[in-house]
Amino acid sequence: MSRSWSARMGKIALTSTAFVLILTLVSTGCTPAPPPKPVERMLRVTAANVPKIDPAIGSDGAAAMGQLNLYDTLVFPNPDGSVRQHLATKWDVSADGLVWEFTLRQGVKFHNGKELTAEDVAFSMDRLLKVGRGWAYLFKGRVNKSEAVSKYVVRFTLTKPFGPFLSTLVRLYVMSKDDVMAHLVKPGAYDDFGDYGTAWLQANDGGSGPYKVKEVKQGEYVLVEQFKDYWNGFKSNSPTSLKIIGTTEPVTVRTLMSRRELEISDSYQSIEALKALGEIPGATVALLPAATMNDLMLNTKKPPTDCLYFRKALAYAVDYATLVQQISPGTPAPIGLVSSAIAGHNPNVEQPTYDLAKAMEYLKKSKYYGKLDKYPVELAWVAEVPDREKIALLVQASCTQLGITINVVRVPWVSLVDKCARPDTTPHGNIVSMSPDYPEAGAHMYARWHSSGAGTWLQMDWLQDKEFDAAIEDALSTIDWGQRLEKYKPLQVRLMEIQPAITLMQGLTRMAYQSNYVVWPAAEAAKNKQPVTVLMGYSMYARDIEVYPEKMPK
Amino acid sequence: MTSPSLMAHKTGPTVQRRDVLRRAWYNFSRNRLSVVGLVIVLLVVLLAVIGPYIAPYPGHAKAFVDFRNSNQRPSVRHWFGTDYIGRDILSRILFALRSALLMGVLVLAIAVPVGVVSGVVAGYLRGSLAEMVIMRVTDIFLAIPAMVLALAIASVLAPNLRNAMLAVTVMWWPWYTRLVYGLASSLRNEYFVRAAELTGASAGHIMFREILPNCLAPIMTKITLDMAWVIMIGASLSFVGLGEQPPIPSLGNMVSDGAKYMPDQWWMTVFPAIAIMLIVLPFNLLGDGIRDLFAMGEER
Repeated sequence: MSRSWSARMGKIALTSTAFVLILTLVSTGCTPAPPPKPVERMLRVTAANVPKIDPAIGSDGAAAMGQLNLYDTLVFPNPDGSVRQHLATKWDVSADGLVWEFTLRQGVKFHNGKELTAEDVAFSMDRLLKVGRGWAYLFKGRVNKSEAVSKYVVRFTLTKPFGPFLSTLVRLYVMSKDDVMAHLVKPGAYDDFGDYGTAWLQANDGGSGPYKVKEVKQGEYVLVEQFKDYWNGFKSNSPTSLKIIGTTEPVTVRTLMSRRELEISDSYQSIEALKALGEIPGATVALLPAATMNDLMLNTKKPPTDCLYFRKALAYAVDYATLVQQISPGTPAPIGLVSSAIAGHNPNVEQPTYDLAKAMEYLKKSKYYGKLDKYPVELAWVAEVPDREKIALLVQASCTQLGITINVVRVPWVSLVDKCARPDTTPHGNIVSMSPDYPEAGAHMYARWHSSGAGTWLQMDWLQDKEFDAAIEDALSTIDWGQRLEKYKPLQVRLMEIQPAITLMQGLTRMAYQSNYVVWPAAEAAKNKQPVTVLMGYSMYARDIEVYPEKMPK
Repeated sequence: MTSPSLMAHKTGPTVQRRDVLRRAWYNFSRNRLSVVGLVIVLLVVLLAVIGPYIAPYPGHAKAFVDFRNSNQRPSVRHWFGTDYIGRDILSRILFALRSALLMGVLVLAIAVPVGVVSGVVAGYLRGSLAEMVIMRVTDIFLAIPAMVLALAIASVLAPNLRNAMLAVTVMWWPWYTRLVYGLASSLRNEYFVRAAELTGASAGHIMFREILPNCLAPIMTKITLDMAWVIMIGASLSFVGLGEQPPIPSLGNMVSDGAKYMPDQWWMTVFPAIAIMLIVLPFNLLGDGIRDLFAMGEER
């Protein structure tokens, strides 16, 4: 009896369970629920060109943007110009400043899955110096030897003390030795190393950075995607992929932006184009501080700009207020010849103001006064940057009132680089912008006025002053950060006295971005007057940026 | 002289000359478009002459900036708007008309005599060393695309209006040499030339008093048509920065500068472009009319 009852109850339970199961399957369409689809958070940006992603080849703004997302560095720049730990967890320098040892973070993986070791770091430095392009100039002649002391300790021996060595390491992008060695093309320009992997690294990466190469379309774009095993992780809304598109063509940029196919524009758009971009619903124009200086370089080896008084007259004939209020609104006014956004800037220098009476005073002291018509000044502006013509015409209008003839000349960048190889072919005045390689006043002054760089576009003023050379070398060899910064200051005073150039404006990077669905920390910080890393490319560290596609306007 | 062309009638009595002119005007005015062309050409020339006096802001054609008034749309104050540094576009166009016309006139004033003289000499002295030298040099110049040659010359020299004119002149004379050479080569066998030779006329007399007057009709037509082309080439050189330099306005440069601000600030490009069209098109129409005029004269 009890058995038959229990058997009956079992049948009922089984039937009920089967019924419920069938009902559930029917109600859910007889298929199990699919896993949630990962949200594609794409960050698309335009740049002056398609980035050269090999750190031993490319060193411009677009290249920096690509490389810093693909590779890691030993140290990472802070907004105040100092550096913090990144791949290196600690470092030591010998008393004479010649030997630097870095202890590496353990467990960092390359995109190929292998662990990053000291041997890879030493290899990356050797390769950079051997290939000799890209960021090599920062280390060439300074780094004598790179060696792996142990698996996680790397040592660099310098040829002479170089204080900012640590700062320059933000440009030593570490790559996997195995990756490069597996892709050598022989024979090549580098003996046993064949092509040193340069062909392979054009469209691939050997890094450990937060993103890895997905696709490189030459002449069009570089597409990179998240590296899931990145040692430092991601924010929950960090972009899943980053696409760097090589165009600055205003109509294309505007079209992409208004179709929500571009999140952040390049920084080469004219004020008028940016205004139009800012009018796109949901788009905002971000104003980011930059270490760039827009200079009017004066050829000190050619009359009439070889005369100090003539140069001083020009400095007082520039309408600085119109520059920073009308031509480039929001740009900081210059204080000296070094950016106030970088460490070691001296705010206590004599900064010329727009004062035509004072300009005339200086002009009268010039040996060319009274025969100005015989000495027209050729003022060159780079044809690829239309806003600079406005500056040239402003200077021309002021100088005309002083009786100085200014011939404004539009010169393509390539021609200008050719012209500045010799003092006699370098125009009298050249409107050019320049960004220091590491955020220190010494970087700017060494590149701009140390005689070793004469004949390059960075030195169209042809200063070639031995006293200045010795003083900047002395400052750069000072290891102590504070002492070094102090040594930069009198040099800036000296520069303002001899006026080899006129700073027209400090740098300000303008980029439009989709502020309604992109959270861009650099833009937010700049908006809230907080410090921003001014090092070229670092505002585009994609890992820090957040994208919310669900907020994108339909 | 047995010239068949209209020019040959200039020695007639006053009444006859007036009659010829009336007939010429009748022939010319039958083509309405040519009359329109003539009227516009006269208007453009007038504007070029009085432009600096009627320009609302003459100072804007010199070294001048007013960033507060930059990028202003066309308005009562600035009929054609202002450019990217606040200069009145109408005023700058009125000044630029001068350099455009000056370019056309001066280039042709140099290129035509050089080309015509060398063409007549080479044509009349056919088979001589002079012909060979003149025509081979002409061939060399004609072998190089005209615009490429002008760009090459202008880019080697300092960029300014004078050098742009020089560049265009260098590329322009061979066309006249080639044209006149062909005409002179055929005319040298005409009876009136033979007659002049038999009467002991000098080579100079035959070339410039007998042959040249009979070549004038096609030369005049070509000059009128070329005026438009020279202005176009000048504007092209100026467009790439090889003509007038800032702050002096030139139409090509204004179009080039304005193009950077298209489509929002369209007025910076559109008005100078219309100005170029208003010069080039009527000269073409006028050229057509003059060609018809001479053709009728020859038929008659």
